[in-house]
Amino acid sequence: MSIKVGIPRALLYYYYHPQWVTFFRRLGVETLISQKTTRGLLDKGLKSTVDEACLPVKLAVGHVLDLRDRVDYLFLPRIVSTARKEYICPKFLGFPDMVRHTINNLPPIIDCNFNLYHKGSSSADFYFQVGKFFTRNPAKIIMAYNASKAALDKHNLDMQSDCLPQEHAAEGSADSNGINIAVIGHPYVIYDNYISMNMIKRLRDSGARVLTADHLPESVVREEAYRLPKKLFWTINQRMVGAAYHYFSREDVHGIIHVASFGCGPDSFTGELTERCARNGSNKPMLSLTVDEHTGEAGMVTRLEAFLDMVRWRRNMADAAATL
Amino acid sequence: MYVYLGIDVGSVSTNLVATGEDGTIKHSIYMRTSGKPIEVVQKGLKLMQKSLPIGTKVAGVGTTGSGRHLAGVMTGADVIKNEITTHAIAASNVVPGVQTILEIGGQDSKIIILRNGVVSDFAMNTVCAAGTGSFLDQQASRLNLSIEEFGPLALQSNVPVQIAGRCAVFAESDMIHKQQMGYNIPDILAGLCAALVRNYMNNVGKSKEILPPVVFQGGVAANAGMKWAFEKALEVEVIVPPYFNVMGALGAAMLARESTNRRKTGFRGFQVADSDFCSGGFACDGCPNICEVVEIQEGGRVIARWGDRCGRWSNALAKEEKIS
Repeated sequence: MSIKVGIPRALLYYYYHPQWVTFFRRLGVETLISQKTTRGLLDKGLKSTVDEACLPVKLAVGHVLDLRDRVDYLFLPRIVSTARKEYICPKFLGFPDMVRHTINNLPPIIDCNFNLYHKGSSSADFYFQVGKFFTRNPAKIIMAYNASKAALDKHNLDMQSDCLPQEHAAEGSADSNGINIAVIGHPYVIYDNYISMNMIKRLRDSGARVLTADHLPESVVREEAYRLPKKLFWTINQRMVGAAYHYFSREDVHGIIHVASFGCGPDSFTGELTERCARNGSNKPMLSLTVDEHTGEAGMVTRLEAFLDMVRWRRNMADAAATL
Repeated sequence: MYVYLGIDVGSVSTNLVATGEDGTIKHSIYMRTSGKPIEVVQKGLKLMQKSLPIGTKVAGVGTTGSGRHLAGVMTGADVIKNEITTHAIAASNVVPGVQTILEIGGQDSKIIILRNGVVSDFAMNTVCAAGTGSFLDQQASRLNLSIEEFGPLALQSNVPVQIAGRCAVFAESDMIHKQQMGYNIPDILAGLCAALVRNYMNNVGKSKEILPPVVFQGGVAANAGMKWAFEKALEVEVIVPPYFNVMGALGAAMLARESTNRRKTGFRGFQVADSDFCSGGFACDGCPNICEVVEIQEGGRVIARWGDRCGRWSNALAKEEKIS
């Protein structure tokens, strides 16, 4: 029987899952992804996490609990930085320790450091360390690493050509009346059907095409983010701001929705930065939503509905004005 | 005579409006929801039928407010719309050229910005209900005042006291403190109004461009103290339209007129007021989400279900009244 590694379907899983899964598969290790978020899973996470953690971290703990008794190893990489001179949120950095100290009876945790902050650092180092858990053959690790990198590159290209992550690909009717809505938020919030309350599906069902930061090549996002007076050193938030700036300047995007998660520090900055951009120099409508443990969907539904009404209304007016 | 009915089922009040074909209001009813939306809608329909001339036909029904789906299913509404859109439509018809709508209801507060007759931006209170009607209600009853006395009393104030308005709970302790220090009630009430307006401007009014004409509507607009506080804070005249407390219902009636344009209405007749509706709920055990499914029955027959995330229950019924 092969070794089983559990990967929580949370946090940066949404960016890196093709790479992680491919890497383990090439090493001959079986991977088990936690189930999709459910209320039961979130409840478990809420109960076993410290109060100060943000919603996505609490949720990730729930996913860890889901995997705990079913796997031989837990894959909780300590992701410090994914780009030079930038950081990932400190809660990610402490996540493996947070889990270790709050949950009992854990399987061994693979918590190698993923840190590209310094010059000359490479993600290969990280995968080498991880690979050593399962094989002593460096050639095997190198081959697995190369394959995993190719998988990630392919995945990113797919995303840019309008395929949202697998869970969303088939849902809803794409592009019917030509309304494009950009959804700006952390990937682990907007792609999680439970905590985002099916936002992407709802938007699609009402006939809007959904665009996210992942539809843009990294170079575009970074270039836009450099318009800020100072470099944002949180990678994900830089992505969000960059993407928002890009979509604000795009003619074919009719509205922007900023999704923040309750308790997220950096989100309060990006929310403000995007909102300022919305007020100055753009007349695109923008909606700010905050998701938390709430299960009442009415608030979300009302706001989305009103937002789409407004976008359509404005568009019809613009069309009418254009024909005058 | 033909009329269009608008029904707004809010958290605190339920309002009905009947408009003529020209959009003028024939009759309006304002009632407390008192936690029993079904009974109140039925009672409202009865009252409405009595006050309309015999032989009046209903040509269309629109519902809005947080209980819009419930009321929509009960009456067979032609249009079920969120309260932001209906409020905007009503205000722009009653006060042509309106550019800002301040709306404070029982449990929500919102600001709607219109430009050239079209909604260009809106915001709703997020997680906090401080600064809404329920809080004023509660404070009035704590001081043993009826809510109707609140406004006139506040206007008698000479020196409004400073009250912390960030949070309803702290505002209350601050008020108690001030009252025990011996400040008189009008000054405290005026201070409370000013605090709520500050809260509103910081919460929903944040970074919005507020241009006149400004319309103030929703149940709280009845409170002259709040109107005074808004005028002081914004330094513009604040218009309270004659039907300020039923604007949502009015907008719904206007939308009903638009949507039934030369089509037959789905209205099920005033006799639904005598039907035996009952609502029940159960927790679905199909998956760990444990959705709370609501079931509306009429005479023992299930006419609508909602609350399930996957559609297992709501799709099991025939589909015009499917939610959102």
